Amino acid sequence: MGMKKGLIVTICIVAVLVLIVGACVGSYNGLVGEREKIDGLLANIDTQLQRRNDLIPNLVNTVKGYTNHESEVLANVSDARAKLAGANTTAEKSAADNELSGALSRLLMVVENYPQLKADTQFTALTDELAGTENRIAVARKDYNDAAQQYNAMIKRFPKVIFANLFGFEKAEYFQAAEGAEQAPNVNFD
Amino acid sequence: MKRILCVLACLMACVSIQVQALEAPAKLFYAADYASVLSDETETFVVEHSAALAESTGAQIVVATVEDLEGRDVMDYGLDLLRTWKVGSEKNNGVVILVSTGDRKIGINVGYGLEGALNDAKVGRLIDTCAVPSLKENDYDTGIFQLYNAVLAEVYNEYGMDVPENVKSLDDYKDKEKNDAEPFIILGVLGVLVVLSIFNRRNGPPPPNGPGGHYRRRGFYGGYFGGPPYGGSGGFGGGGFGGFGGGGGSGGGGGASRGF
Repeated sequence: MGMKKGLIVTICIVAVLVLIVGACVGSYNGLVGEREKIDGLLANIDTQLQRRNDLIPNLVNTVKGYTNHESEVLANVSDARAKLAGANTTAEKSAADNELSGALSRLLMVVENYPQLKADTQFTALTDELAGTENRIAVARKDYNDAAQQYNAMIKRFPKVIFANLFGFEKAEYFQAAEGAEQAPNVNFD
Repeated sequence: MKRILCVLACLMACVSIQVQALEAPAKLFYAADYASVLSDETETFVVEHSAALAESTGAQIVVATVEDLEGRDVMDYGLDLLRTWKVGSEKNNGVVILVSTGDRKIGINVGYGLEGALNDAKVGRLIDTCAVPSLKENDYDTGIFQLYNAVLAEVYNEYGMDVPENVKSLDDYKDKEKNDAEPFIILGVLGVLVVLSIFNRRNGPPPPNGPGGHYRRRGFYGGYFGGPPYGGSGGFGGGGFGGFGGGGGSGGGGGASRGF
């Protein structure tokens, strides 16, 4: 009789342990999956930022071919581009990204004074690619921030908060846009 | 940080509400003419050709017109349509052509799967050549019809298929432009020659604005205002166009937009 009771208690304890371990593994894997997802989305932003950085030298050279007095605006673009290339953390990147977006929209405003440049098909193609890339950056940024928000909420909730603290899952940083920088520079060929 | 989260949440809520207000009608999935600017012929043309394209390639091209973007960017709005309507197959080969009559904006959103065929620069050129001249004259039907034709031809080419006979391509519209311009160029050259010969004989100064330049410019920018060349627009049998496969609609903001 005593033996049987002991067996039942043991089985119960083992079952509870299995459940707990199962829950642990599930929570942990869930967190890992979520973390991977936002890392992927962050990489998407990087891809688009890189794509823009690759486009800029071509654009700058095309503009240089038509203009003589805009060296300051062009230098600002090149500086901001270099800064973005040297940025490492998400915060640094978003700051440099905002600076570059600002410099580029100033450049596109200056271009308004050069009708010949605006009529250049090469320039039109480049600005289209650039505007498209700005747009992709905005989309990638929003997708990332949405996922980061979900993840940040998840690691604060019980019971995942225990594992998040235990295994060192840190809060994801938001990729912030400066005021007004959400809009891609408006390229208008009227 | 909490405030930012709140703002983000509010924004997301707004976005989902706004787009939900624009449910695609099942029957005319490919032509969502909420601004009522398309002729019946164009609508039928779009619906029939998009259905045929979807059947053979899985790619889907949707034309949407709205009166108002509610303060949002045309590309942003178009991407929401692409994603919520799940345009395209699992190859993410969807295209949304969105025109807002109130904002006077046109934008084409391209799904990931077609970004190679319809890169941003090409999309910009298609809009400039096929749509903007007509849209500037408020001829939405012609502009959208021509643009739809050119986009459709590009997609067929991407999949290595023959473009249907009644579908025009970018080159057709470009050629038309050139043909229109040619007589004026010849006139312009003749004009210059006449002016030069007069100038040579009289040895006086040339008129500041000779007829040559004038005619040339009209030839280039005059555009053409004829109605779109419709073809094969038979009767439209009700229903049957609702079947659009899910799993598509993934795009990252590729494409181009213009104000007009």
